Amino acid sequence: MSDLMISVPSANRAVNALLKLAGCVFALAFLSACGANKVVVEGKFPSPLMTKLPLNIGVWYPDELRNHEFTDMAKTPRESSWIVKSGEAQIQMWDAVLGGMFQGFENMRVAPEPGVLNQVVDAVIIPYVDELQYAIPTQTHVNVYEIWMRYRFELVTQDGEPIAEWMMTAYGKTPTAFLRSNTAAVNLAAVMALRDAGANFITSFSRVPELREWLDGKMPAAQEISP
Amino acid sequence: MRKGHAVKRPWRIVATLGMAWALTACVSATVDEMVFNEPTEGIGEASIVILGRRHASDYDTEPDFIECVGKHISSRDKSIQVIGELEFINALYPWFEPRTAPLHPRDIDRLLRQEPVAAKMIELKTEYMIWIDGSTQRTNSSGSVACGIGPGGAGCFGFGTWGDEANYEAVIWDFTDKIEVGRISATAAGQSYMPAIIIPIPIIAPVQGAACDGIGDQLLEFLSSKY
Repeated sequence: MSDLMISVPSANRAVNALLKLAGCVFALAFLSACGANKVVVEGKFPSPLMTKLPLNIGVWYPDELRNHEFTDMAKTPRESSWIVKSGEAQIQMWDAVLGGMFQGFENMRVAPEPGVLNQVVDAVIIPYVDELQYAIPTQTHVNVYEIWMRYRFELVTQDGEPIAEWMMTAYGKTPTAFLRSNTAAVNLAAVMALRDAGANFITSFSRVPELREWLDGKMPAAQEISP
Repeated sequence: MRKGHAVKRPWRIVATLGMAWALTACVSATVDEMVFNEPTEGIGEASIVILGRRHASDYDTEPDFIECVGKHISSRDKSIQVIGELEFINALYPWFEPRTAPLHPRDIDRLLRQEPVAAKMIELKTEYMIWIDGSTQRTNSSGSVACGIGPGGAGCFGFGTWGDEANYEAVIWDFTDKIEVGRISATAAGQSYMPAIIIPIPIIAPVQGAACDGIGDQLLEFLSSKY
Protein backbone atom coordinates (compact mmCIF):
# COMPACT_ATOMS: atom_id res chain seq x y z
CA MET A 1 0.00 0.00 0.00
CA SER A 2 2.75 2.39 1.00
CA ASP A 3 4.57 1.52 -2.22
CA LEU A 4 1.51 2.57 -4.21
CA MET A 5 1.18 5.87 -2.33
CA ILE A 6 4.76 6.75 -3.14
CA SER A 7 4.69 5.61 -6.76
CA VAL A 8 1.63 7.64 -7.87
CA PRO A 9 3.10 11.15 -7.29
CA SER A 10 6.45 10.03 -8.82
CA ALA A 11 4.60 8.77 -11.94
CA ASN A 12 2.79 12.12 -12.17
CA ARG A 13 6.11 13.95 -11.88
CA ALA A 14 7.57 11.79 -14.67
CA VAL A 15 4.57 12.49 -16.92
CA ASN A 16 4.83 16.23 -16.17
CA ALA A 17 8.55 16.20 -16.90
CA LEU A 18 7.95 14.38 -20.18
CA LEU A 19 5.24 16.85 -21.18
CA LYS A 20 7.55 19.79 -20.34
CA LEU A 21 10.33 18.21 -22.40
CA ALA A 22 7.97 17.63 -25.35
CA GLY A 23 6.81 21.25 -25.05
CA CYS A 24 10.39 22.53 -25.09
CA VAL A 25 11.30 20.39 -28.12
CA PHE A 26 8.17 21.60 -29.94
CA ALA A 27 8.91 25.24 -29.07
CA LEU A 28 12.53 24.89 -30.21
CA ALA A 29 11.45 23.28 -33.49
CA PHE A 30 8.92 26.07 -33.99
CA LEU A 31 11.45 28.82 -33.26
CA SER A 32 14.15 27.25 -35.43
CA ALA A 33 11.80 27.59 -38.44
CA CYS A 34 11.91 31.38 -37.95
CA GLY A 35 15.72 31.74 -38.38
CA ALA A 36 17.61 32.20 -41.64
CA ASN A 37 18.80 29.14 -43.56
CA LYS A 38 22.57 29.16 -43.12
CA VAL A 39 24.81 27.22 -45.53
CA VAL A 40 28.58 26.99 -45.07
CA VAL A 41 29.58 25.52 -48.42
CA GLU A 42 31.55 22.30 -47.99
CA GLY A 43 32.85 20.02 -50.71
CA LYS A 44 35.85 18.23 -52.15
CA PHE A 45 37.49 19.73 -55.21
CA PRO A 46 39.71 17.55 -57.39
CA SER A 47 42.87 18.75 -59.06
CA PRO A 48 42.46 19.07 -62.86
CA LEU A 49 43.77 16.30 -65.11
CA MET A 50 45.73 18.24 -67.71
CA THR A 51 49.19 19.05 -69.03
CA LYS A 52 50.40 21.85 -66.77
CA LEU A 53 51.17 25.20 -68.40
CA PRO A 54 54.89 26.08 -68.06
CA LEU A 55 54.27 29.18 -65.96
CA ASN A 56 54.93 30.16 -62.36
CA ILE A 57 51.69 31.78 -61.22
CA GLY A 58 50.85 33.38 -57.92
CA VAL A 59 47.40 33.89 -56.46
CA TRP A 60 46.21 36.58 -54.10
CA TYR A 61 42.83 36.07 -52.45
CA PRO A 62 41.32 39.43 -51.43
CA ASP A 63 39.35 39.56 -48.17
CA GLU A 64 36.06 39.79 -50.13
CA LEU A 65 36.76 36.33 -51.53
CA ARG A 66 38.29 34.82 -48.38
CA ASN A 67 35.17 35.77 -46.40
CA HIS A 68 32.71 35.58 -49.25
CA GLU A 69 29.15 35.48 -47.92
CA PHE A 70 25.85 35.88 -49.69
CA THR A 71 22.86 37.14 -47.68
CA ASP A 72 19.26 37.33 -48.82
CA MET A 73 16.76 38.38 -46.17
CA ALA A 74 13.10 37.43 -46.59
CA LYS A 75 10.84 40.29 -47.70
CA THR A 76 7.56 38.56 -46.91
CA PRO A 77 6.61 36.07 -44.14
CA ARG A 78 6.14 33.34 -46.77
CA GLU A 79 9.75 33.65 -47.98
CA SER A 80 12.80 32.34 -46.13
CA SER A 81 16.09 34.13 -45.45
CA TRP A 82 19.36 32.67 -46.69
CA ILE A 83 23.00 33.10 -45.72
CA VAL A 84 25.44 31.25 -47.99
CA LYS A 85 29.10 31.34 -46.85
CA SER A 86 31.36 30.21 -49.66
CA GLY A 87 34.73 31.83 -48.79
CA GLU A 88 36.53 28.74 -47.51
CA ALA A 89 35.23 26.53 -50.33
CA GLN A 90 36.28 29.17 -52.91
CA ILE A 91 39.87 29.07 -51.66
CA GLN A 92 39.94 25.24 -51.58
CA MET A 93 38.65 25.09 -55.15
CA TRP A 94 40.95 27.77 -56.61
CA ASP A 95 43.99 26.29 -54.86
CA ALA A 96 43.17 22.88 -56.40
CA VAL A 97 42.49 24.30 -59.89
CA LEU A 98 45.45 26.69 -60.12
CA GLY A 99 47.80 24.18 -58.47
CA GLY A 100 46.94 21.60 -61.12
CA MET A 101 46.96 24.04 -64.03
CA PHE A 102 50.40 25.66 -63.73
CA GLN A 103 53.85 24.14 -63.24
CA GLY A 104 54.59 26.65 -60.49
CA PHE A 105 51.91 27.90 -58.10
CA GLU A 106 52.31 30.19 -55.11
CA ASN A 107 49.94 31.69 -52.56
CA MET A 108 51.29 35.24 -52.33
CA ARG A 109 52.26 36.51 -48.87
CA VAL A 110 50.93 40.02 -49.47
CA ALA A 111 48.92 41.83 -52.14
CA PRO A 112 51.07 42.53 -55.23
CA GLU A 113 52.24 46.14 -55.05
CA PRO A 114 55.44 47.99 -55.99
CA GLY A 115 58.23 47.46 -53.47
CA VAL A 116 56.59 44.68 -51.41
CA LEU A 117 58.57 41.54 -50.56
CA ASN A 118 56.77 38.63 -52.25
CA GLN A 119 57.54 35.32 -54.00
CA VAL A 120 59.01 35.53 -57.53
CA VAL A 121 56.32 34.61 -60.09
CA ASP A 122 55.46 35.30 -63.76
CA ALA A 123 52.13 36.94 -62.82
CA VAL A 124 49.53 37.04 -60.05
CA ILE A 125 45.86 36.10 -60.44
CA ILE A 126 43.36 37.93 -58.20
CA PRO A 127 39.84 36.44 -58.24
CA TYR A 128 36.71 38.29 -57.08
CA VAL A 129 33.09 37.09 -56.79
CA ASP A 130 31.10 40.03 -58.17
CA GLU A 131 27.66 38.45 -57.88
CA LEU A 132 25.91 35.34 -56.58
CA GLN A 133 22.29 34.39 -57.19
CA TYR A 134 20.33 31.36 -56.05
CA ALA A 135 16.96 29.78 -56.85
CA ILE A 136 15.08 27.12 -54.92
CA PRO A 137 12.03 25.08 -56.06
CA THR A 138 9.57 27.15 -53.98
CA GLN A 139 10.57 30.24 -56.01
CA THR A 140 10.81 28.73 -59.49
CA HIS A 141 8.39 25.75 -59.28
CA VAL A 142 11.09 23.68 -61.01
CA ASN A 143 12.51 20.69 -59.15
CA VAL A 144 16.08 21.96 -59.09
CA TYR A 145 18.17 24.13 -56.76
CA GLU A 146 20.41 26.55 -58.65
CA ILE A 147 23.42 28.77 -57.88
CA TRP A 148 24.85 31.25 -60.35
CA MET A 149 28.05 33.23 -59.82
CA ARG A 150 29.87 35.93 -61.72
CA TYR A 151 33.63 36.18 -61.22
CA ARG A 152 36.06 38.91 -62.12
CA PHE A 153 39.74 38.13 -62.49
CA GLU A 154 42.72 40.42 -62.56
CA LEU A 155 46.08 39.24 -63.84
CA VAL A 156 48.81 41.56 -62.60
CA THR A 157 52.60 41.61 -62.47
CA GLN A 158 54.38 41.05 -59.19
CA ASP A 159 54.43 44.84 -58.77
CA GLY A 160 50.68 45.08 -59.25
CA GLU A 161 50.79 46.41 -62.85
CA PRO A 162 47.63 45.21 -64.68
CA ILE A 163 48.09 42.67 -67.50
CA ALA A 164 44.50 41.56 -68.09
CA GLU A 165 41.04 41.72 -66.58
CA TRP A 166 38.18 39.46 -67.55
CA MET A 167 34.78 38.18 -66.37
CA MET A 168 33.51 34.62 -66.12
CA THR A 169 30.27 32.98 -65.01
CA ALA A 170 29.63 29.68 -63.24
CA TYR A 171 26.43 27.74 -62.75
CA GLY A 172 25.49 24.75 -60.64
CA LYS A 173 22.24 22.91 -60.06
CA THR A 174 21.07 19.86 -58.20
CA PRO A 175 17.73 18.02 -58.27
CA THR A 176 15.33 17.76 -55.37
CA ALA A 177 15.71 14.49 -53.50
CA PHE A 178 13.71 12.57 -50.92
CA LEU A 179 14.81 13.48 -47.37
CA ARG A 180 17.36 16.07 -48.59
CA SER A 181 17.00 19.39 -46.79
CA ASN A 182 16.97 22.78 -48.55
CA THR A 183 20.35 23.66 -47.02
CA ALA A 184 21.98 20.37 -48.16
CA ALA A 185 20.62 20.91 -51.68
CA VAL A 186 21.86 24.53 -51.83
CA ASN A 187 25.28 23.34 -50.61
CA LEU A 188 25.40 20.72 -53.38
CA ALA A 189 24.34 23.29 -56.00
CA ALA A 190 27.10 25.64 -54.74
CA VAL A 191 29.69 22.84 -54.99
CA MET A 192 28.52 22.15 -58.56
CA ALA A 193 28.82 25.87 -59.35
CA LEU A 194 32.36 25.96 -57.93
CA ARG A 195 33.35 22.92 -59.99
CA ASP A 196 31.85 24.62 -63.03
CA ALA A 197 33.86 27.76 -62.24
CA GLY A 198 37.06 25.67 -62.29
CA ALA A 199 36.07 23.97 -65.56
CA ASN A 200 35.17 27.29 -67.21
CA PHE A 201 38.40 28.92 -66.01
CA ILE A 202 40.56 26.10 -67.39
CA THR A 203 38.84 25.92 -70.79
CA SER A 204 38.49 29.69 -71.32
CA PHE A 205 41.89 30.81 -69.96
CA SER A 206 43.75 30.74 -73.25
CA ARG A 207 40.79 32.20 -75.21
CA VAL A 208 40.69 35.59 -73.45
CA PRO A 209 42.29 37.93 -76.05
CA GLU A 210 44.44 39.88 -73.54
CA LEU A 211 45.63 36.65 -71.95
CA ARG A 212 46.29 35.05 -75.34
CA GLU A 213 48.60 37.95 -76.17
CA TRP A 214 50.41 37.67 -72.84
CA LEU A 215 50.68 33.87 -73.14
CA ASP A 216 52.13 34.20 -76.68
CA GLY A 217 54.90 36.36 -75.23
CA LYS A 218 55.59 33.97 -72.35
CA MET A 219 55.21 30.60 -74.10
CA PRO A 220 54.93 30.96 -77.92
CA ALA A 221 54.00 27.28 -78.45
CA ALA A 222 50.98 27.54 -76.12
CA GLN A 223 47.98 25.57 -77.37
CA GLU A 224 44.34 26.22 -76.63
CA ILE A 225 43.00 24.16 -73.74
CA SER A 226 39.78 22.60 -74.95
CA PRO A 227 37.51 19.75 -73.87
CA MET B 1 9.29 -23.91 -26.03
CA ARG B 2 11.87 -23.65 -28.82
CA LYS B 3 9.58 -25.64 -31.13
CA GLY B 4 6.82 -23.10 -30.62
CA HIS B 5 9.15 -20.25 -31.68
CA ALA B 6 10.25 -22.16 -34.78
CA VAL B 7 6.63 -22.57 -35.82
CA LYS B 8 5.78 -18.92 -35.15
CA ARG B 9 8.79 -17.49 -37.05
CA PRO B 10 7.72 -18.46 -40.62
CA TRP B 11 4.33 -16.89 -39.94
CA ARG B 12 6.04 -13.70 -38.85
CA ILE B 13 8.15 -13.65 -42.03
CA VAL B 14 5.05 -14.29 -44.16
CA ALA B 15 3.17 -11.57 -42.30
CA THR B 16 6.05 -9.08 -42.73
CA LEU B 17 6.37 -9.86 -46.45
CA GLY B 18 2.59 -9.63 -46.85
CA MET B 19 2.57 -6.27 -45.07
CA ALA B 20 5.44 -4.97 -47.27
CA TRP B 21 3.60 -6.16 -50.40
CA ALA B 22 0.32 -4.61 -49.23
CA LEU B 23 2.07 -1.27 -48.58
CA THR B 24 3.53 -1.09 -52.09
CA ALA B 25 1.38 0.54 -54.73
CA CYS B 26 1.29 -0.59 -58.37
CA VAL B 27 3.68 0.68 -61.04
CA SER B 28 3.42 0.20 -64.79
CA ALA B 29 6.73 0.23 -66.64
CA THR B 30 7.71 0.05 -70.33
CA VAL B 31 11.23 -0.59 -71.59
CA ASP B 32 12.33 -0.17 -75.22
CA GLU B 33 15.67 -1.34 -76.53
CA MET B 34 17.60 -0.65 -79.69
CA VAL B 35 20.99 -2.33 -79.88
CA PHE B 36 23.34 -2.16 -82.85
CA ASN B 37 26.47 -4.04 -81.89
CA GLU B 38 26.30 -6.27 -78.84
CA PRO B 39 29.48 -7.89 -77.42
CA THR B 40 29.07 -11.66 -77.95
CA GLU B 41 31.06 -12.82 -74.92
CA GLY B 42 30.46 -10.05 -72.42
CA ILE B 43 32.98 -7.31 -71.73
CA GLY B 44 35.72 -9.46 -70.14
CA GLU B 45 38.07 -7.58 -67.80
CA ALA B 46 37.12 -4.15 -69.07
CA SER B 47 35.04 -1.76 -66.99
CA ILE B 48 32.00 0.38 -67.66
CA VAL B 49 30.98 3.76 -66.37
CA ILE B 50 27.42 5.06 -66.04
CA LEU B 51 27.05 8.83 -66.15
CA GLY B 52 24.06 11.15 -65.83
CA ARG B 53 23.36 13.87 -68.40
CA ARG B 54 22.91 17.24 -66.72
CA HIS B 55 22.41 19.67 -69.56
CA ALA B 56 18.67 20.36 -69.34
CA SER B 57 17.58 23.55 -67.63
CA ASP B 58 14.47 22.22 -65.89
CA TYR B 59 15.64 18.85 -64.56
CA ASP B 60 18.75 16.93 -63.58
CA THR B 61 19.32 13.20 -63.92
CA GLU B 62 19.35 12.08 -60.28
CA PRO B 63 22.75 10.81 -59.01
CA ASP B 64 20.91 8.16 -56.92
CA PHE B 65 19.28 6.78 -60.08
CA ILE B 66 22.71 6.39 -61.72
CA GLU B 67 23.97 4.66 -58.56
CA CYS B 68 20.89 2.39 -58.56
CA VAL B 69 21.51 1.23 -62.17
CA GLY B 70 25.20 0.64 -61.41
CA LYS B 71 24.37 -1.44 -58.32
CA HIS B 72 21.72 -3.38 -60.27
CA ILE B 73 24.32 -4.42 -62.86
CA SER B 74 27.22 -5.18 -60.52
CA SER B 75 25.05 -7.13 -58.06
CA ARG B 76 23.66 -9.43 -60.77
CA ASP B 77 26.93 -10.00 -62.66
CA LYS B 78 29.91 -9.67 -60.33
CA SER B 79 32.36 -9.93 -63.26
CA ILE B 80 31.26 -6.51 -64.58
CA GLN B 81 33.24 -3.72 -62.98
CA VAL B 82 31.17 -0.56 -62.73
CA ILE B 83 33.14 2.61 -61.98
CA GLY B 84 31.25 4.98 -59.68
CA GLU B 85 30.04 8.19 -61.34
CA LEU B 86 31.64 10.57 -58.82
CA GLU B 87 34.90 8.61 -58.80
CA PHE B 88 35.06 8.83 -62.60
CA ILE B 89 34.23 12.53 -62.96
CA ASN B 90 36.64 13.40 -60.13
CA ALA B 91 39.44 11.37 -61.73
CA LEU B 92 38.85 13.14 -65.06
CA TYR B 93 38.03 16.62 -63.75
CA PRO B 94 37.15 18.95 -65.51
CA TRP B 95 36.39 16.98 -68.71
CA PHE B 96 33.08 15.38 -67.63
CA GLU B 97 31.43 18.39 -65.99
CA PRO B 98 28.07 19.50 -67.52
CA ARG B 99 29.91 22.31 -69.38
CA THR B 100 32.64 20.12 -70.85
CA ALA B 101 31.22 16.56 -71.12
CA PRO B 102 31.33 15.04 -74.63
CA LEU B 103 27.94 15.09 -76.34
CA HIS B 104 28.79 12.79 -79.26
CA PRO B 105 31.07 9.74 -79.50
CA ARG B 106 33.23 11.65 -81.99
CA ASP B 107 34.14 14.11 -79.20
CA ILE B 108 36.08 11.31 -77.48
CA ASP B 109 38.96 11.69 -79.97
CA ARG B 110 39.31 15.37 -79.06
CA LEU B 111 39.37 14.44 -75.39
CA LEU B 112 41.99 11.74 -75.84
CA ARG B 113 44.35 14.17 -77.57
CA GLN B 114 45.29 15.28 -74.07
CA GLU B 115 47.91 12.86 -72.84
CA PRO B 116 46.95 12.76 -69.13
CA VAL B 117 43.31 12.05 -70.09
CA ALA B 118 44.29 9.26 -72.51
CA ALA B 119 46.57 7.70 -69.86
CA LYS B 120 43.81 7.82 -67.23
CA MET B 121 41.31 6.16 -69.59
CA ILE B 122 43.79 3.33 -70.26
CA GLU B 123 44.31 2.95 -66.49
CA LEU B 124 40.54 2.75 -65.89
CA LYS B 125 40.05 0.21 -68.76
CA THR B 126 36.75 1.83 -69.69
CA GLU B 127 35.19 -0.14 -72.54
CA TYR B 128 31.65 1.22 -72.45
CA MET B 129 30.38 4.60 -71.37
CA ILE B 130 26.65 4.70 -70.66
CA TRP B 131 24.92 8.09 -70.57
CA ILE B 132 21.55 8.22 -68.85
CA ASP B 133 19.27 11.20 -69.40
CA GLY B 134 15.92 11.71 -67.70
CA SER B 135 14.19 12.22 -64.38
CA THR B 136 11.28 11.20 -62.17
CA GLN B 137 8.66 13.92 -61.85
CA ARG B 138 5.54 14.37 -59.72
CA THR B 139 2.59 14.51 -62.11
CA ASN B 140 -0.31 15.15 -59.73
CA SER B 141 -1.13 15.36 -56.03
CA SER B 142 -4.35 15.78 -54.11
CA GLY B 143 -5.89 15.35 -50.66
CA SER B 144 -4.54 16.52 -47.32
CA VAL B 145 -3.33 15.08 -44.04
CA ALA B 146 -3.58 17.13 -40.84
CA CYS B 147 -1.52 16.30 -37.77
CA GLY B 148 -1.96 17.62 -34.25
CA ILE B 149 -0.28 17.39 -30.86
CA GLY B 150 -1.86 17.91 -27.46
CA PRO B 151 -1.50 16.87 -23.81
CA GLY B 152 -3.53 13.73 -24.56
CA GLY B 153 -1.26 12.63 -27.39
CA ALA B 154 -0.58 13.20 -31.07
CA GLY B 155 -2.15 11.96 -34.28
CA CYS B 156 -2.92 12.56 -37.93
CA PHE B 157 -6.08 12.33 -39.98
CA GLY B 158 -6.73 12.59 -43.72
CA PHE B 159 -5.87 11.10 -47.06
CA GLY B 160 -3.27 12.11 -49.65
CA THR B 161 -2.42 10.74 -53.06
CA TRP B 162 0.20 11.63 -55.68
CA GLY B 163 1.40 10.32 -59.01
CA ASP B 164 4.99 9.98 -60.25
CA GLU B 165 6.29 9.41 -63.75
CA ALA B 166 9.82 8.34 -64.67
CA ASN B 167 11.32 8.83 -68.14
CA TYR B 168 14.90 7.76 -68.80
CA GLU B 169 17.01 7.05 -71.85
CA ALA B 170 20.37 5.26 -71.77
CA VAL B 171 22.82 5.65 -74.65
CA ILE B 172 25.74 3.21 -74.85
CA TRP B 173 29.05 4.36 -76.33
CA ASP B 174 31.80 1.97 -77.31
CA PHE B 175 34.86 3.78 -76.03
CA THR B 176 37.35 1.82 -78.17
CA ASP B 177 35.58 2.27 -81.51
CA LYS B 178 34.12 5.69 -80.53
CA ILE B 179 30.65 4.84 -81.76
CA GLU B 180 27.17 4.59 -80.29
CA VAL B 181 26.24 0.91 -79.97
CA GLY B 182 22.89 0.92 -78.22
CA ARG B 183 19.97 2.92 -76.90
CA ILE B 184 17.48 1.90 -74.19
CA SER B 185 14.52 3.87 -72.91
CA ALA B 186 12.35 3.18 -69.89
CA THR B 187 9.17 4.82 -68.68
CA ALA B 188 7.31 4.02 -65.48
CA ALA B 189 4.28 5.55 -63.81
CA GLY B 190 2.53 4.89 -60.54
CA GLN B 191 0.15 6.35 -57.98
CA SER B 192 1.07 6.51 -54.27
CA TYR B 193 -1.43 6.81 -51.40
CA MET B 194 -1.20 7.90 -47.79
CA PRO B 195 -4.25 7.30 -45.58
CA ALA B 196 -3.83 8.62 -42.04
CA ILE B 197 -5.95 7.52 -39.09
CA ILE B 198 -3.83 8.52 -36.08
CA ILE B 199 -0.73 7.12 -37.85
CA PRO B 200 -0.02 7.96 -41.53
CA ILE B 201 0.42 4.78 -43.59
CA PRO B 202 2.37 5.54 -46.80
CA ILE B 203 1.65 3.15 -49.69
CA ILE B 204 4.44 4.17 -52.06
CA ALA B 205 4.66 3.28 -55.75
CA PRO B 206 8.38 2.56 -56.45
CA VAL B 207 8.35 4.37 -59.81
CA GLN B 208 12.04 5.27 -59.96
CA GLY B 209 12.98 1.78 -58.73
CA ALA B 210 10.94 0.16 -61.52
CA ALA B 211 12.66 2.34 -64.15
CA CYS B 212 16.05 1.47 -62.59
CA ASP B 213 15.30 -2.27 -62.74
CA GLY B 214 14.05 -1.94 -66.35
CA ILE B 215 17.14 -0.13 -67.61
CA GLY B 216 19.46 -2.27 -65.46
CA ASP B 217 18.02 -5.55 -66.85
CA GLN B 218 18.36 -4.37 -70.45
CA LEU B 219 21.94 -3.20 -69.86
CA LEU B 220 22.75 -6.59 -68.33
CA GLU B 221 21.45 -8.30 -71.47
CA PHE B 222 23.76 -6.08 -73.48
CA LEU B 223 26.88 -6.33 -71.31
CA SER B 224 26.77 -9.71 -69.61
CA SER B 225 27.52 -13.10 -71.13
CA LYS B 226 25.27 -14.68 -68.46
CA TYR B 227 22.07 -12.96 -69.58
